[in-house]
Order: sequence, then C-alpha cells, then structure tokens
Amino acid sequence: MPEISGFAFPNDIHVTWSLMIVMYPYITGFVAGSFIVTSLYHLFGRQEFKPVARLAMATSFAFLLVASLPLQLHLGQPQRGPFVIVTPNFTSAMAGFGILYSFYMLVLVLELWFVWRTEIIERARRSRGVKRAFYAALALGTYDTSAEAVEIDHKAISILAGIGLPAACMLHGYVGFIFGAIKANPWWSTPLMPVIFLLSAAVSGIALLILLYQVYAKLDRRPVVASCVQALASWLWFFLILTITLEELELIVMAYEKSESWLIISELLTTRLSFSYVTMQMIVGGLIPLILLAVVVLMNRYLHEKVRNTLATVAALLTLIQVFSMRWNIVIGGQLLSKSLRGLRSPYEPEIFGREGVLVAIALFVAPFVILWVFDRVLGIQEPEGGGHGSPGTGDATPGAAVAGHAP
Amino acid sequence: MSNCHDGCDSSRREFLSGTLKLAGGAVVTVIGGSALASSGGSPASTGAPGGTAYDWNEHLWAYLIDTTKCIGCGSCARACKAENDVPDGFYRTWIERYVVGTEESHVDAPNGGMEGFPPVQVGFAANKSFFVPKICNHCRATPCTQVCPVGASYRTKDGAVLVDGESCIGCGYCVQACPYGSRFIHPATHTASKCTWCYHRITKGLKPACVTVCPTQARQFGDLKKDGDPIRAVIEHDRVQILQGHLLTEPQCYYTHLDKEVR
Amino acid sequence: MEHARHVFRIVLLVAVILAVVLLARGFLVPKSYGLYGRYRGANVAEQMNARPVLHGGAAVCGDCHEDQAKKRAAGAHRNVSCEICHAPFRAHVKEDGTVVKPPIDRTYALCARCHRKIAGRPATFPQVDLEQHVNGPPEGKVCLQCHDPHAPKP
Repeated sequence: MPEISGFAFPNDIHVTWSLMIVMYPYITGFVAGSFIVTSLYHLFGRQEFKPVARLAMATSFAFLLVASLPLQLHLGQPQRGPFVIVTPNFTSAMAGFGILYSFYMLVLVLELWFVWRTEIIERARRSRGVKRAFYAALALGTYDTSAEAVEIDHKAISILAGIGLPAACMLHGYVGFIFGAIKANPWWSTPLMPVIFLLSAAVSGIALLILLYQVYAKLDRRPVVASCVQALASWLWFFLILTITLEELELIVMAYEKSESWLIISELLTTRLSFSYVTMQMIVGGLIPLILLAVVVLMNRYLHEKVRNTLATVAALLTLIQVFSMRWNIVIGGQLLSKSLRGLRSPYEPEIFGREGVLVAIALFVAPFVILWVFDRVLGIQEPEGGGHGSPGTGDATPGAAVAGHAP
Repeated sequence: MSNCHDGCDSSRREFLSGTLKLAGGAVVTVIGGSALASSGGSPASTGAPGGTAYDWNEHLWAYLIDTTKCIGCGSCARACKAENDVPDGFYRTWIERYVVGTEESHVDAPNGGMEGFPPVQVGFAANKSFFVPKICNHCRATPCTQVCPVGASYRTKDGAVLVDGESCIGCGYCVQACPYGSRFIHPATHTASKCTWCYHRITKGLKPACVTVCPTQARQFGDLKKDGDPIRAVIEHDRVQILQGHLLTEPQCYYTHLDKEVR
Repeated sequence: MEHARHVFRIVLLVAVILAVVLLARGFLVPKSYGLYGRYRGANVAEQMNARPVLHGGAAVCGDCHEDQAKKRAAGAHRNVSCEICHAPFRAHVKEDGTVVKPPIDRTYALCARCHRKIAGRPATFPQVDLEQHVNGPPEGKVCLQCHDPHAPKP
C-alpha cells in the first residue's frame, strides 16, 4: 500500500496511469518531432535538412507503428481496444486520438510510398522470385518511372506533406489535450498543455535525429554534413528555449496567482518530484543542454567539427532525458497528488517485468530502431548515391525546393 | 465481482447477431453524424428500458446529505461493500472526518471510515469537528462520461451515472476525470467501477443500501419528479450546497451544512 | 493522365481498405448501441438485474421477528436498521428460503462504532468515553451486561 502524507480521497491512492502512459506521449512525440524535421525540408525547402529528410520520415513512421502499443498494453481489457474506433464517443479526447492516429498513419504511409516509389521499382527490377513479387506488390504493379510520373509523385508528396504537418502537430497537440482538458486535476488542467507537449515533441524529434543521423552516417560510411548538424542544433536550441520557458511560465503563473492548488503542487515538486522535476527536467535536461547548444550555435565559427558534433550529441542526449522527465512528471506527478488537494501519495515505482513494466517500456523504445533497421534493409533509407539507373528528379531537383522555391 | 450474471450470454449473442447492422449506418456514424439521429424519436427512447416494468422517464433521482447528522459509524460504507461486493481497498462510498482549527485542519478516513473512527490527537487547538459522507455525485454535466472513449459510461434518463462493464476497455480516463475520486479500476475485472446509487435497488422501489442502513438519516435519497417528495422539497426550497461547484459538474448529490474545508 | 496510373491504384487501395474497415465496424457495433444514447442500451436493463438485493430493510425482518421489531420501534434505536448489527437480510435468509444463522458481532466494538466519544460526532448524540464508562479495560460483550440493544436506555 502506498504511503500517504496528508489526506487523499481513498480511491485516489492508485496510480492508474502507469509507465505505459509515460511512454505513450514520449513515443508519439518522436513521431511528430521527426515529421517536423522532414517537413522543414519537404515543405519549407530548408536544404540544410536534406541529409536527414528521409531518415526523419522513416523515423516518424517507425515510431508511429509503435505509438499505439503502450496504450493497448495499458488497457484493462486490451481485446476491446478496437472499440475506440468501432463505437467512438466523440466527446472523449481518447476517441479522437484513435481517429487522428489512423488518419495520420494513412497520410504518412502514402507520403512514404510516393517518396520511396522509384526505389521500390528499382528493387523490383533488380530482384528475382519472391523478392521481386514482394517489391512488385509494393509498387502496386506499375513500374512507371518516367519524368511525368515522377513529377506527379513530387506533387503528391508536397500535398501530403502539407496535410501531414498539421496532422502530426494535431496528433501530438492532442496528446497534450488528453491531459490539459482534465479539469479535475490542477497539475494537468491548463490550456498550455497541448502547446508544451507539441514543443517538447519537436525538441525530442530533433534531438533524436541529431543522434540517429550521426549513428546512421557512421554505419553507412557517409560523412556527417556539418551544416546539417549545425542546423539541427540551432533548431533544437530554439525549441528547447520555447519549451522550458512555457514549462516555467505555467508554474510561475500558478504560484503568482496563489491558485488553490499551488500549495499542494509546490509540495509535490519539492518533495516527490524533486529529483525528476528539479534535477532532471530543469537542470540536467534543461539548463545544461541550453548552455551547450548556445555554445554550439553562438560560437560555431570557433569550434572544431568534432567538438561541435560532440557538444550537440551530448546536448541531444540530455534533452531526450528532459522530455522523458517532463512526460513522467506530468503523467505520474499528476497522480501522486490527490484531488482532495490535501495529500500526496508515496512515489510510484513501476514494476520491472509485468505488462506495464520497465522491460516492456525499454522494448517499446528499442522497437522503432529495429523497425528502422528493417526499413533500411527493405527500402534503403538514404537515396542510392549516384544511382546507376536514371531516375530523374530524385537527384537534385528536390520537391521541396521546387515547390517552396527558395533555396538558401 | 462480475457484472456478468445472466446478462452476459444474451448480450454476447446480440453482439454476434449485430451482423444486421448495415455498413451504411456505420458510415454515417464514422463520418461524425451519429447512430442516435435515427433513434432520436423512436419508441425505444421512451418507456421502460429493455422491456422491464420500471419506467425511467418517471423518475429523476437525487441524493441529500446532512453533515450535521452523520455520526461516522461507517454502516453505510459496510452496507455498500456487502450489497455491491466492493473489493477491499476500494470505495463506492466513504466517510471523511474533519477536525478544524483556526489555522490548521486535519482530515482522515481510515479504511474509508468503514470500521468507524478511532480517537484522534491533533497538534492544534480544534474549534469544530464533523463527518462528511462522500459518494459519487452522479453529476448532470459528468466529466467522467465525457471522456469515456467508447461510451461505456453514461448517464441514465433517471439520473444515475453507470458503467457498462462489458464495453469498458479499462483505460482509466474516467478515473482521472472524476474530481471527487469516486471511480476506480476494479482489481478483478480491470474495468471502471463506481457507485450506481444501487441501480438494482432503486429500480425496484428500494432505497440505496447506504441510505437504507443510515441510522441518523444523514443520507437521504429522493425523486425530483415525484410530487410531495420530502428530499425534493429540501433541494428545491432550502439552501443546499454541492461539492466543488466551481468545476460546474452539476452534482446531483446535495449537502446541507457543508463546511468550507470540504472539497 | 497515363502517367498517373499509380496514383489511381493507391487511391483505389485506400478506398478498399476504408470500405473493409467500415464494413467490419458495421459487424462489430453492439446491437443495442445508440438505442438511448451513445452507449449500449441493453446495459440499462442489465444494471437493474446486475446483482441480487441483499439489504431488505427493517420491515422485512419484522415479518418473522415481530417481538424484536416492536421493541425496537418503541425504543431509542427505532431508526437503527436491523441489518447494521445483524448483517444483510440475504446473509440470513437465502434466495431459496433456507435460513442461515447470520454472523452477529456482540462485542463492545460494535457499540463503540456509534457511541464511543470521538472528535467528529455531533455533541447531542449519546456517546461515552470508553475508558471512563467501563470499569476496567473495555473488552468482550461488556456493553450487553447493562444495555439492551433493542431498546437501550442511557
């Protein structure tokens, strides 16, 4: 039984939303965050993101495949999960999530298909037997790689990216809404919540790509493009500043208003969450990467490439911790305080082995990387360098540049 | 506990024979319209649900608690546990004790007040002390049914907020959304559970178990649609209070003589 | 348009998937869903019969235990339900009519639940300081030595 300090409503001592519900916004955040990166290139024509554009899109896809699993694992009756789609109650944020998730999945899969279509056809042409049948099926049986067809692909990609970005933002803003719209819980109930979730999703997505890009470049024996890391670092800095500012503003307003819940929330933050909030979310994952990234961005000229990459990598790792701590502090923290606003329960310790345990959480975090590896084996994440077969358009005439029309 | 006595089999059969539901109707629902549109004025929406003798249009239930009468014996919570087979450590109703001083106050509810209350030593000069029975407020603007993703939780026409244990997916969202801590996830069925105002009793003309056993009439149950109902008279004519009124959930559990310390 | 064949194919594929999903959904929606609102309408009747009625109320007890009922109705415990001390009616008389001896707590602890002097009770309610009221430590059926629970006097 959990220990209670003060008075909690007797049913309020259970942490109903477990570690899985911490993982759910964490993983969904990568989906939205990496899609924002890929959109910077595909939609806004930021050429410096070209080296990571495809990687980012594949990452978004890999995490999306896993994103609904923590929710499923958490359900008391997992076999009834599909009923969120079958009999949705539209006043529920969670029912909305089911529909948004499906919609975003559709848009992303379509966009992936158009982006990778010429490669699929390449592989279909190159391979034999079952493999060939597989790629042929993926290509839907048409091998049209003419200039006109590729031009149509580019148009489709632009349209889908245009739909995909708001869909991705909605998807994650919605996750914030799930918490922010619970008026019963003063630690959740704020209209800032969707915004903070969205911004921290961008933070986690960019940070992950800084890491993934360097690992991928090493594995693929390609040089790390300095301008790309540099650009990712500056955007990470930008989003981190916004995120932390908003996270702090929320608290400052609450404290200054002396809202009825401030007394218990300040106690929550300084006792139960002192490590995960003050130490991890604010100092180790907030302040330190802010300084590191400031160095990377402001002193760029003076930094050796290796130093810059190292600094950016360390900062990215720390911000990943920051975002996880933030998810933890929201989801778990909100359940440590009783709605009586008079009591806190003892800290929540997730189980190790069970369905909602630590090992499953680790597996959920690792799964997208495995998916990414499979994706690379099946379709190849990066464009083939100087590909022998002429596939016009996939070379330099990038769709983003063609549409947005402003090269840097 | 199991909600699955005899209703279970038949509902499963109905479930399978749901093949009659045409995809056409499904399209309408998915696109954002609702299946309700077609059943809006149908005869099914009036009269007795499921062919029972009880007509839910003739009643609108409300609960009334006089905090000055409660002696903190816990009979209500024990009766509730027995009547509804409530699992240990979870509460459909409970009693809180407030010991209030000028600057400090102490609140407790050992085991939900089920076994009564022990003497208490507080480290401050207490001015007053009292008990407050708590129960699901069966809100008219329910935050809990609002967030249920599958429509497993709903408010009946006679005003009870219920959970369909066979549709509930056990996501726990309603538990988070209830400002009063009235809901919990049942440890055996893994679905949401809560006070039903003893729906199996009130639809047979009985009072909820907690009201039946209350020795001091601190807990009372009435019908807002019945002429001459004494509870209705109090709610309509006296000064009554509700819990956490600022959340605008429109509780249908009313209090008299509620203290400022109670939330 | 000849080069847009792949677009038509993928659109067709999406349309087919969507149709399958909607069709599947049509089969899965419970029959009584939406009857009264966005929930499974059959559940209302299920809830009415979800469980047996256990607490019968004092009148039911009086059907057999006339003497005690009369005594209780005339005394200070007239509003105290029999089932508080004697367990719910159904723990005594089963659905098939068989009678089982109900568990009765005759110890001081039962009385103390209502009458022990503690913070919280209304001042006008009869209550005693256990340690001072009883000679020696309160234990066992000490209250019953002086008080008749069916018609108690102070």
